[in-house]
Amino acid sequence: MTTQNTPLEADAHGDTDSHSERPPAAELVTVTKQYEGAETVTALDAVDLSIARGEFVAVVGPSGSGKSTMLNLLGLLDVPTEGLVRLAGRDVTDLSEAALTDARRERIGFIFQDFHLLPTLTAVENVTLPTAFESGQSGDRAVTLLERVGLGDRLTHTPDELSGGQKQRVAIARSLINEPALLLADEPTGNLDRDTGTNILEEFARICDRGVGVVAVTHDELVTEYADRTVRIVDGRLRRGDRGGDGFAT
Amino acid sequence: MTVEVTGLQPEGNGESHAESETPQNGLTGWIWRLPTVALAWRNLRRNRLRSGLAAVGIAIGIFTVVVLGVFGTVLQLSAADELGGIGNQVIISPADELEEESLATRDIQELERIASGRGDLVPLYSDNVVVDGSGESAAVQLYGTNTPGLLFDGADGELPVQHRDGAIVGPEVASQLDLQLGSPLDVAGEQYRVVDIAAAGEDITPVQPDNAVILPEREFSGEFDQAIIVADSPADATAVAEETDATLNVRVERVDIFELSDILETIDEFFTLLNRFLLGLGSVSLVVAGVSIFNLMLMSTNERRGEIGVMRAVGIHKPDVLKLLLVEATLLGLLGGVIGAFLSGVAVMALWAVSPIGLDVIFVPRNGAFLLGGILFGMFVALASGLYPAWKAASERPVEALRG
Repeated sequence: MTTQNTPLEADAHGDTDSHSERPPAAELVTVTKQYEGAETVTALDAVDLSIARGEFVAVVGPSGSGKSTMLNLLGLLDVPTEGLVRLAGRDVTDLSEAALTDARRERIGFIFQDFHLLPTLTAVENVTLPTAFESGQSGDRAVTLLERVGLGDRLTHTPDELSGGQKQRVAIARSLINEPALLLADEPTGNLDRDTGTNILEEFARICDRGVGVVAVTHDELVTEYADRTVRIVDGRLRRGDRGGDGFAT
Repeated sequence: MTVEVTGLQPEGNGESHAESETPQNGLTGWIWRLPTVALAWRNLRRNRLRSGLAAVGIAIGIFTVVVLGVFGTVLQLSAADELGGIGNQVIISPADELEEESLATRDIQELERIASGRGDLVPLYSDNVVVDGSGESAAVQLYGTNTPGLLFDGADGELPVQHRDGAIVGPEVASQLDLQLGSPLDVAGEQYRVVDIAAAGEDITPVQPDNAVILPEREFSGEFDQAIIVADSPADATAVAEETDATLNVRVERVDIFELSDILETIDEFFTLLNRFLLGLGSVSLVVAGVSIFNLMLMSTNERRGEIGVMRAVGIHKPDVLKLLLVEATLLGLLGGVIGAFLSGVAVMALWAVSPIGLDVIFVPRNGAFLLGGILFGMFVALASGLYPAWKAASERPVEALRG
């Protein structure tokens, strides 16, 4: 699949030493997001954030502070009212809907709190879902990924035959099917017990070792323990004093 | 295949498996070869009762349309069989205003020429007489022709091509006077033997054999009273009638021409109208089925907002999601259509089993077209019903859909 603009940089992920020499996995540059309604609500207010390759960033903050909005902007599911969004060094702010869809499939992995696996598909089919309508076969890679996350013996199980932790690992495998530069997780441990959550976070650490930038929105302190950096949002702004990346580092 | 279970492999390694022997096919089967159809089918199977009921709705609609269509065809073709002779006969008699009671010999010769290549000319004497046989009398229609086989059938097969001696009697006369082959018959004082018995007339025509006695031409004198041209087809009959009118009725109306192919056309038009009416009636039930599919798809896509949002989020394009949902609706139509068409086939064969209609009016291309057209129509109705719900679901922004 080729994108209509300059192809996103292909990263081998293997060389952690070179992370610093390459553009960040994702960047928000003075991003503001407002929602129009009876009155305009500013969900994010001039936020700057940079996610380096191989970095695990936890995003915390009270409900309604703008965490999910930020995740949606980083995941190209929403567009900013002002500011720039860069993915692997490329400005993706003004891409068409189709190009954004391609960019999501090629460079971003999503993990959701309630897993969001398709109940009619087996584990391996769920993992290949992002590429299902594209030419080429990704079944082998799906098998490899599931084996890596310890589900080699659950390949043909459907979600209702899997535990919460297993479902989340299937979701992780799905998020990695296209070798993403950026992995976004929304409350990844929210529905899991502590041991399972720990396993998942250890998996995240391994993913970061492969050069993938990971952003996890969370209320779970366990996540912040594993994160390289924790970013706190309050009322749509990164709180001064947190290590929020460029311009916010203290 | 070697797999490192611990730690992530270099991402590029996934590529190396692409060409190798893997459980790919065994695991995912054919699903990714036809992902749209496979996913749609699995989604339908998820709530089998609901999908089944929607398909049954379509099946009933298709059943109604196909059965009414086929019955209309059967009715039309059966009627055409019954009325077969109606359109092929042209009856020429002396014009009323001429006060002539017979056709001139040159007119007969002219008619012979006109009929040539388009049918057979049967000049006919006709009269009303009283006949006696077996001690009983009856008033009958008397015809004189040497070629009764062109006009009538025999009770036991064909009438002789050439009629030279004796009398052929119609079934009513035979029954009334208790006549059999060889029975003596007194026709206006002349004695004849019954040489054949005609079959009851099936065609709609003024020249009927039922209450008739048919004698050879030589038993009559003078000119023929009328002439019948038995044309090869209704089109030939029309052409013969037109040419007769143009040739014999140039300055004065010398002959009256009675021709029924126009009536056949009118009857055909009536049946076409009837067919359309029946199909329209059947279509109403399909509209109802369409509404139920519309409702099903709305409910189903609404329940699956989150899933559709995930599909969009992980990089599946809007047209692919749209296609998937439309295939779901169309599959329902196909399923319902096939069931409906099958049931229609059973119903038509049941009709054949309990009624006198023949297979020749059932196994005709038009009925096949109804069957196939019914299935296609069912798919179309389902597709059209699924359009709005599918478009609505596929168009929703993934960020909204994910909130589910």
